Amino acid sequence: MVFVKSVKTKAYFKRFQVKYKRRREGKTDYRARIRLINQDKNKYNTPKYRFVVRFTNKDIVAQIISSTIVGDLVLASAYAHELPQYGLEVGLTNYAAAYCTGLLLARRVLKTLELDSEYEGNVEATGEDFSVEPTDNRRPFRALLDVGLVRTTTGNRVFGALKGALDGGLDIPHSDKRFAGFKKDEKQLDAEVHRKYIYGGHVASYMKILMEDEPEKYQSHFSQYIKKGIDPDNLEEMYKKVHAAIRANPSPVKSTKPPPKEYKRYNLRKLTYEERKAKLVERLNALNSSAGADDDEDEDDE
Amino acid sequence: MPAGHGLRSRTRDLFSRPFRKKGYIPLTTYLRTYKIGDYVDVKVNGAVHKGMPHKFYHGRTGRVWNVTKRAIGVEINKQVGNRIIRKRIHVRVEHVLPSRCQEDFRARVKKNDQLKTEAKARGEIISTKRQPEGPKPGFMVEGATLETVTPIPYDVVNDLKGGY
Repeated sequence: MVFVKSVKTKAYFKRFQVKYKRRREGKTDYRARIRLINQDKNKYNTPKYRFVVRFTNKDIVAQIISSTIVGDLVLASAYAHELPQYGLEVGLTNYAAAYCTGLLLARRVLKTLELDSEYEGNVEATGEDFSVEPTDNRRPFRALLDVGLVRTTTGNRVFGALKGALDGGLDIPHSDKRFAGFKKDEKQLDAEVHRKYIYGGHVASYMKILMEDEPEKYQSHFSQYIKKGIDPDNLEEMYKKVHAAIRANPSPVKSTKPPPKEYKRYNLRKLTYEERKAKLVERLNALNSSAGADDDEDEDDE
Repeated sequence: MPAGHGLRSRTRDLFSRPFRKKGYIPLTTYLRTYKIGDYVDVKVNGAVHKGMPHKFYHGRTGRVWNVTKRAIGVEINKQVGNRIIRKRIHVRVEHVLPSRCQEDFRARVKKNDQLKTEAKARGEIISTKRQPEGPKPGFMVEGATLETVTPIPYDVVNDLKGGY
């Protein structure tokens, strides 16, 4: 074996500065977070809301969050796994589902703040760049998009969720540069293409291609779609219905879960401060009493 | 070449970040709010270059007189010659901590108010003044045995035991 000088000596560890926990886990970008959370000091305690969009392998999380010193507070949240209630059962992490989730979150927030009748947003999704107009009574709900650690390329699903929230009636500063269908050459958003993506047109065209060329792959890839009886042609209809259902009733459903059952504990529970102090007192008393006994014996000997 | 007396001269150690605390600064510094009239400590954070106060103000405490978008106006006393001037500086929030100098005072005020209202309800008159610590009370020393010491006449032979 080659003799290698070890790098991780005791000195290395003594000088090593750990990064913040969430940075070590690779979950938070602190540079972005500082800039998103920082509120103008002359606005004192006014909360600054961020529209957080995160994708997992099988779900989409959209939340409106404000920050305090004790922790972040979630004002409202919407998940892609709630979409089956509104009639969308398959393709829960695609661009169209992201749009639905963003829309759901926006309508939910506006409903809780009683702004939903003021700000309808864009009822018919056309794919054009839409920004909320402030009405006379109350100003629109403002949030800032927080993408997390995602690479913001054109046509990313986070911008699908952003479009959903915008059409839902939230005021989120944005540009149309990153929406699906933006042509870099002409520097213009092709609204038709964007509309296609919002209604799952890209999924439908892929389904058609596979049905023609590789039927077996179509069966395996879109098995859930086939099971639910969804064809490429009625995909757009389905999404239209989902949007309408979301606008009709965006309130979250409280799930009744049974209380979690008690688990057997395999490792020792850490003692509280009081318990540790009590143990120390006991040990000292025991020592003193035995020491007292020893002293008595010594005195007797002398 | 002479030393130079620039703005950040002689601040190599003063403005350096402490051991193993380099990099991004914790976000509570950005989430704190300051109101006019609060007392704040000025403590320079070398990681943030904008809105740094002069090294004189590092470690000083003053009152807030202005709040802007990203900075706080602090009024600090500085002795110039034979007088003390109230200087007004603007400092970014990263270089400012809320001061605890009034914490004890405010807690006492609160407690006193409470005591006074209770006493009023009972109809007594109490004094909430702080009393200085007096002399310690007298006590008997325990486990003391008396040992009387008397002088003995000087004896040359015995005392020169060491050698002469």
